[in-house]
Amino acid sequence: MKIVVCVSLVPDSTTKIKISDDGKSIDESGVTFIINPYDEYAVEESVQLKEKKGAETYAISFGTQKHKEAIKKAFQMGIDKGILIQTESDNYDSYTVAKNLAEAIKEINPDIIFFGKQSIDFDGLTVPGMVGELLGIPSVNVVTKIEYGDNLLTLEREIEGGKEVITTSIPAVIGTQKGLNTPRYPNLKSIMASKSKPIDEKKATYSGNATNVTEMKLPESKGKGKILTEGVKSVPELVNLLRNEAKVI
Amino acid sequence: MYKSITGKIFEELKHVTDKEYILTDEYNKDIYSKDNTEDLKYYPDVIIRPGSTSEISKILKIANFYKIPVTPRGGGTGLSGGSLPVFGGICLSLERMNKILEIDENNFQITAEPGVITEVLQSECEKRGLFYPVDPASKGSCFIGGNLAESSGGPRAVKYGTTKDYVLSIEVVLPSGEILNLGTNTLKNVSGYNLTQLIIGSEGTLGIITRITLRLTALPKFRKVALIAYDDIYKCISSVAEIFKQGLIPSALEFMERDAIKTAEEHLSKVYPNSDAEAQLLVEFDGNNEEVIFADIEKCALISEKYDAADVIMAEDTSKIEEIWSLRRAVGESVKNISVYMEEDTVVPRFRLPDLLIGVKEICTMYGIRAICYGHAGDGNLHINILKDGLSDDEWEFKTAKAIPEIFKLTVRLGGSISGEHGIGLTQKKYLNIAVQEKVILLMKEIKKIFDPNNILNPGKIFDL
Ligand SMILES: Cc1cc2nc3c(=O)[nH]c(=O)nc-3n(C[C@H](O)[C@H](O)[C@H](O)COP(=O)(O)OP(=O)(O)OC[C@H]3O[C@@H](n4cnc5c(N)ncnc54)[C@H](O)[C@@H]3O)c2cc1C
Repeated sequence: MKIVVCVSLVPDSTTKIKISDDGKSIDESGVTFIINPYDEYAVEESVQLKEKKGAETYAISFGTQKHKEAIKKAFQMGIDKGILIQTESDNYDSYTVAKNLAEAIKEINPDIIFFGKQSIDFDGLTVPGMVGELLGIPSVNVVTKIEYGDNLLTLEREIEGGKEVITTSIPAVIGTQKGLNTPRYPNLKSIMASKSKPIDEKKATYSGNATNVTEMKLPESKGKGKILTEGVKSVPELVNLLRNEAKVI
Repeated sequence: MYKSITGKIFEELKHVTDKEYILTDEYNKDIYSKDNTEDLKYYPDVIIRPGSTSEISKILKIANFYKIPVTPRGGGTGLSGGSLPVFGGICLSLERMNKILEIDENNFQITAEPGVITEVLQSECEKRGLFYPVDPASKGSCFIGGNLAESSGGPRAVKYGTTKDYVLSIEVVLPSGEILNLGTNTLKNVSGYNLTQLIIGSEGTLGIITRITLRLTALPKFRKVALIAYDDIYKCISSVAEIFKQGLIPSALEFMERDAIKTAEEHLSKVYPNSDAEAQLLVEFDGNNEEVIFADIEKCALISEKYDAADVIMAEDTSKIEEIWSLRRAVGESVKNISVYMEEDTVVPRFRLPDLLIGVKEICTMYGIRAICYGHAGDGNLHINILKDGLSDDEWEFKTAKAIPEIFKLTVRLGGSISGEHGIGLTQKKYLNIAVQEKVILLMKEIKKIFDPNNILNPGKIFDL
């Protein structure tokens, strides 16, 4: 069996984001990057599947040189091979990402392709679906449970207020959601072992974005919170503030 | 012995501090009647929240004149009952004095009022590449003034020392209302007795700290954390001293036994790796060279292997590092939620830690009580939480009255003391003579009388006069 997991690198959720002077991109100075947290579920699932059934595992990332860090993280968790599809600039959209990933995945011809359900930087939720489409195979996103049968997967996915159970043939693209598994912390042995795992570097073959970012804005900052200190006596004032100032009741 | 606050005295107090900042209602009295020590409650007659040093000075003059007890209060996170107004009177809360006055980036210093939350002070420093390393696990709620009063420690003490190691100068209001300036903002100063250090750790019994200047260091660029799991608690604790003997200087080295981890996991509704292991060490290294940090963690792992460690996991990203630290920080609070408890804050020379742990377990087994242990192993500081669980009140009284002195005697025999960082306060004063010579206690009492002849400032703490 062959498993591909696509991984991305995103700003650490604890860093403060600044917009660059061009007003269209993120100022990366002082930002630390981590593997996209949802991708960790995808990596964990791939590694668990490998441990159960045996498989060749690949982590693929599309991006600049720094995206190697995401692949290394996947290595530490137990993925064996890596491919970086290298682009010079940071200016690409999800279509470009999907096109390049699909191209590389085709060459490997895997049985299952895992993604995190979305990347926490641009929140597009689009790449897994596009890759499925470009490869002409089924794709299912926001998956919280997988049962592996012979050539058939039974998937549970979250829908508003409930669950949906889906079966699909393989090969298939699966987007993973929190709850599917508990991503492991890499242990020191696997970190040491990961250092000798190879990353194959390829040039991106497609760069014609389908969309363009024209502007980026930070959300309006929240006003300072108010603390009422008179205990129960503060309730009338609280109600007044909620009604007339916050206008929520 | 003490006067109660009559209408006339109350009027005088209202002239000093705006009545908006004076509380007397039952709801607030209840809030200010407790800190984080067991389930103890002592009600103040009035809560005053002054806004300046001069207000505090005036309040103390009034209290001193009429002989009204005054109990200073910081964030109320104390674990030895220091801020409990045992004799009623005035609860003097420093919560409104919460301004950072100056950050001196040239001299690496910060000057602040006592009511600044420790974590706020730290993050203001970190924004500028400066570092105030002392980080009690309560840092999100405790005040810097409270930290000075207790000379608090925390996980990083092992590399960076405790609060006492960072204080350059302080402003202190005496019970008489006089205002003292102690220390200078220089890195050295030998000019008579070191009264700055006398005030630090004096638990609010000698004076009220109203302004603080701390020295800072440069913020290390990187840190990494490892969690080392052991199937044998004794081997786990024995490996601690070896890590240092091999020349390593971790920025934190924390010990947690299984019950502590399990309780914290439940509290956080989260599962951590290897949480079934009998005990774990959390090891952190910081510095400016990532490779060196990594190599140090590797060395640590090799040492732990010799002590049959089962697994070493590692966190490198800030969010993952925080996730592991949140487990450690949750331990204290979650263990205290299990049942009625008593917490002992024993500290011994690092190499004697295994003897302490074994001894404590033996004493607890002998008396049939459960204790959950965790703490700053790198400092030889073991927190022992003795739990009441299903014991009857009588059994609980009887057993703890026997077991705790035995634990403390053992601690002292091993060359240690009865409080590493939580202070003596109210709850530990009956044990003070186990650790401190009679004559020394006498000297302490004389000092107290010089500072506070009427015994109005935080009476009933550390010792009875
Ligand atoms: C979950 C938890 C974790 C903790 N972890 C640690 C830890 O890792 N390390 C550690 O050392 N401690 C720890 N503590 C104990 C506690 O947080 C510290 O003792 C802290 O320094 C108390 O600060 P506070 O502002 O809450 O002071 P309070 O509890 O309000 O007061 C403590 C004492 O200081 C006096 N005081 C307060 N402010 C002043 C002032 N301005 N002038 C004079 N006296 C004053 C009070 O009278 C009292 O005697 C922990 C507590 C909790 C609840």
